[in-house]
Amino acid sequence: MADYKMLFTGSVCSGKTTAIRSLSEIETVDTDAKVSDSVIRRKQRTTIAMDYGVLELSDTAKLHLYGTPGQERFRFMWQLMMSDLVADAEALVLLVDNTRNDPFKDIRFYVEEFRDYLVKRRLVIAVTHSDVRPNPDYNYYMNELKRMGLFTTVMFIDARDPAAVLKVVKEVVGRREKEVDWAGLAEKLADNSTVPEAVALPDEIVSSEAAKPISLIDAAVNTRGITGAMHLGADRKVLSSNVASMQSQALLKAMVNLVSALEQKAAFLGKIDSFMLCGEEQETLSVFVEEEQALGLCSDKGLSLTVVEQQASDLLQWSRDND
Amino acid sequence: MIELLEAVDELEFIEGCCLMQADQVLSSTFPQARRHHETIARKAFGYVFQNAAKLRSTHDEAHLEIGEKRVSGFLLENKQILICLSSKRTNIVNVRNNVRELYSGLQQQAQLA
Repeated sequence: MADYKMLFTGSVCSGKTTAIRSLSEIETVDTDAKVSDSVIRRKQRTTIAMDYGVLELSDTAKLHLYGTPGQERFRFMWQLMMSDLVADAEALVLLVDNTRNDPFKDIRFYVEEFRDYLVKRRLVIAVTHSDVRPNPDYNYYMNELKRMGLFTTVMFIDARDPAAVLKVVKEVVGRREKEVDWAGLAEKLADNSTVPEAVALPDEIVSSEAAKPISLIDAAVNTRGITGAMHLGADRKVLSSNVASMQSQALLKAMVNLVSALEQKAAFLGKIDSFMLCGEEQETLSVFVEEEQALGLCSDKGLSLTVVEQQASDLLQWSRDND
Repeated sequence: MIELLEAVDELEFIEGCCLMQADQVLSSTFPQARRHHETIARKAFGYVFQNAAKLRSTHDEAHLEIGEKRVSGFLLENKQILICLSSKRTNIVNVRNNVRELYSGLQQQAQLA
């Protein structure tokens, strides 16, 4: 019996747990919990340790499916999994949520995190949620990835559809497992599908189901390492803030004034994305800029700047989605 | 600190750097096509470090991502500021760690001399 392993990773809500459930013939082992931080805006439960499922490809081949937790604060699990459980995996499947503000930022983040792991195995980028937002499309992905120097396979899938996820498996092990009846497998797994039937709901039901809104500031301070936040509008005026330290508040405002001046006077250089201020003994202050809003963050000095950037990107996206 | 500028300029992902003091450029390796970035960075970092000093904060490092580029500013001794230009796609942690490492190495050498 040949045993294959595949590791699924990607941001929160990219569809890792769903993809594994779509393929697994056993009750999947998932370690989810009620969310307690900014992820609350996107989902009620999140994976905290890992997902695991199994699929019999044929009488002689079995596939083990592993999924990492999406949240960066569980990255120690990524390391644990890479060095032990899935050290011998065939491929890393990076699920990319196409509705994210900048899916390529996610790709850069995860490729960087899994750089050493990818030296010895294949990377497949599986784009999800393209039914909600079709762009960037396949050609855009291919061109952008080429520009990034990433020559890899890109597939657009619906993680809820077993037949679609199965195509990723076929891409990874298909050449070696020539005896697998892929069509038969897809049929066998059809019951795992969670693609919803189209049902028209009256408006009042849809709106009554909406979760109680949580402010961006609340979401930010519930994010690990973030100690204060300032939400700014398109005119760069403060909409709300809970930055306690007068010093940080004054510095953040000075940073926002600078960003605002540069947006007017140095627009020819391009859009400003972020401005970060650090010091060995000081909390990190950052301003992240979008056209319609901006976010000022005070974060723990020990928090990696790439993590702060990722968190800010998540928070701004969720704020936009909520509007 | 010219040695630091020269050492940082050698880093593969650094596209140019500049050493300034009191808004005066002491030395620069910024490519001609990126002079606007240098000017903006000088103004921005001069302003933000001045504000930080006024507020008695010891922030001494700043990064501004604008267009496809990132300019990073490091406040050194004698109120000199080292400005580095890199692609936005370069890992920011690489930039700060390498510059800090080179700076600390040069400081140690200076103490030994």
